Amino acid sequence: MRANLSLRAEIEARFPEACRPYQQRRYDTISTGITEVDLATGGIPVSTLSEICGSGKTSVLTSLLANASHEHYCALVDAKDSFDPSSADTAGANLSRLLWVRCGKSKQKLPPLEQAFTTADILLNSGGFGVVAVDLSDFSERLINKIPLATWFRFARVVEKDRTALVFIEKQQHARSCAGLVINLKTSPSLLSGTLFKQLQLEVELIRTAEKKLPSSVRPTFAMNTQWA
Amino acid sequence: MFACLYVPDFSVQAVVRLEPPSTQGPLRRSPVAVLDGPANLPKVIALNDPARKLAIEVGMTKLQVETCGGVTLRKRSLDGEDAAQTGLVECANSFSPRVESTCTGTVILDLSGTEKLFGSSENIAHKISASATDQGFDLRVAVAANPDTAMYAARGFAGITVIPIHHEAERLASLRVGLLPITPEMIEILDGWGIQTFKALAALPETPLTARLGQAGLYLQKLVQGRIKRTLIPVETASTFVESYEFDDPVELLESLAFLLHRLIQQITERLMSHSLATNELRLTLDLGVAQLRDGSTGEQYKREWKLPLPTQDKNMLFAVVRLDLEHSTFAAPVKKITIEAVPIKPRHVQGDLFAPPSPEAEKLEITLARIRGVVGSTDDNGISCVGSPRIVDSHKPDAFIVQPFSSVAEALEKRTLRAVLALRMFRPAVETSVELNGEKPHFIRLWNTHRRVLAAFGPWCSSGNWWNSAAAWVHEEWDVVVKTLGVGYYRIYRDQIKGGWFIGAAFD
Repeated sequence: MRANLSLRAEIEARFPEACRPYQQRRYDTISTGITEVDLATGGIPVSTLSEICGSGKTSVLTSLLANASHEHYCALVDAKDSFDPSSADTAGANLSRLLWVRCGKSKQKLPPLEQAFTTADILLNSGGFGVVAVDLSDFSERLINKIPLATWFRFARVVEKDRTALVFIEKQQHARSCAGLVINLKTSPSLLSGTLFKQLQLEVELIRTAEKKLPSSVRPTFAMNTQWA
Repeated sequence: MFACLYVPDFSVQAVVRLEPPSTQGPLRRSPVAVLDGPANLPKVIALNDPARKLAIEVGMTKLQVETCGGVTLRKRSLDGEDAAQTGLVECANSFSPRVESTCTGTVILDLSGTEKLFGSSENIAHKISASATDQGFDLRVAVAANPDTAMYAARGFAGITVIPIHHEAERLASLRVGLLPITPEMIEILDGWGIQTFKALAALPETPLTARLGQAGLYLQKLVQGRIKRTLIPVETASTFVESYEFDDPVELLESLAFLLHRLIQQITERLMSHSLATNELRLTLDLGVAQLRDGSTGEQYKREWKLPLPTQDKNMLFAVVRLDLEHSTFAAPVKKITIEAVPIKPRHVQGDLFAPPSPEAEKLEITLARIRGVVGSTDDNGISCVGSPRIVDSHKPDAFIVQPFSSVAEALEKRTLRAVLALRMFRPAVETSVELNGEKPHFIRLWNTHRRVLAAFGPWCSSGNWWNSAAAWVHEEWDVVVKTLGVGYYRIYRDQIKGGWFIGAAFD
């Protein structure tokens, strides 16, 4: 018994992290620039893997990049080259502080999904970016479901040591317990009359958060105006 | 005082200098001969002392040299000799602004006024020698009161020689008259008189010497007595920083190329540093070993240019950027010659800003971007970069943008008003579709092989442009449509009036 205790004491002295219960560190958050989303989530946490899913995800991402680019350097890994610089410019983004990586546009050996993950890995290891966003929205669910959980886990652990918010944009959530924050967005029925498409009603559903979770019945809604409205 | 830097067996040293650092030392100690001439009968034009000990001489054919055994043979590199001469001048330039490139392998510099900076003449000579050794030269240095005395002392004596003022004739006395710029006829005459050394020539009476050999004879006598005073002809500082290397046999592997590239980049950065300069633009030209054509013209060239957002002197960073790019390039033929050029610029001196946002480290960022380019490629089919910062083009054309190089160098940002907007997801290229109209409005639309009913359509919004250029002209009739899918989808579709079809340009998301 004494030998066990002394062995434990020695291990604790040499590897203090090994015997301590794992505690996730709490860091700051970055505002998305949409009050309703910020109130529901507390903002996008840094040093955490977050997922934004559903319909309206690109608008939230664009707003997040616009907001973050005033204080941080941001990177967007665009797996299917679908980012619209004009929307980001209208949202007020400092485009000179945004690194845009367009995957799948050149004749490369790697398929676009692997390009996106490899690029995200390089960016996280390089450091210095406040937000690293990876847009995987246009891939089929069948393809993304093939990504092993270990990959998401590795990303979550890598970003934990950095002051970077890692955000994945997808149709549905995939990182499961590796994600610190998961938001699902839905479009609400909107007024579809008139001659000009002006706005869309969006509903925020908080699926996973490190903070105290809102009751599932509480789903804040907000209106997103088009660029010309 | 004047110092002369003399590189013995210059052609050999110029070739050895281009070898990888690990092989330079052993090569200097082993016999090396440099060959030149027609491809079918190359002859020795230069060799080093270990090769001379093997009884190899200038003019021997390659076959004759190979029979001696143990001799490393190298092809003459004129580019390498130019680069070596430039390196020698730059080495001298770091000690004095007045430098004369007297001839190949010989450089003379004026030391007047440098004593306070570098110490005594002997100290300066040692410092010059150490600096030249760092640049890959094994040279002789001589310091004397006039340029010619320094030059003959450097050519005649090994190591470092310092000749005090008024002792020139005494110190040069033992040298052979063959070192002088002298015609064969004159050598024959002097031989006939039994004159072999500088001392013997210096001792001849002036008047009879002038009567027999003319003014040329008198000039030679003054040279050996160390009495010739002349002004230096300073070289202009080089404004281009180019290094090149031609392979004996074309190389196919990147590893072989990388060895040389690293060496050339190191030499360029050392030269830049000696001028207190940096570079923000690197140009690489690879001459590919394509067979010579009948008209005499040869080969393709692979050209590549890297523009860095900030000036740097970091050889490892420059090498990493070049290597990562070349790793993903393919060449039509093996590489015959490498030429690398750095565009000089003043170095960047900045102080860290406490209030600046955390940013990727500027030097490290270039390597990161090069690695990303290696993964996703450099440009798309339209020549737009795949990695960089987006910039909106001043045009009415939908989805008009360019991608600029990304930089983390602090810059003044304009105040922007933040405004959350409904963003578009672009389809690049636009997806061709078919639309059924009800009157003028879209009624049904084909979305990925499924016909969907249009719940609402807003439009049409017409735009056109570039009518003066038929290839770039566009005439669009745009509609924003709400489509019944599993839920509800919001799309921007357009009719291309020139091509005459319907396309899905973007989705609201």
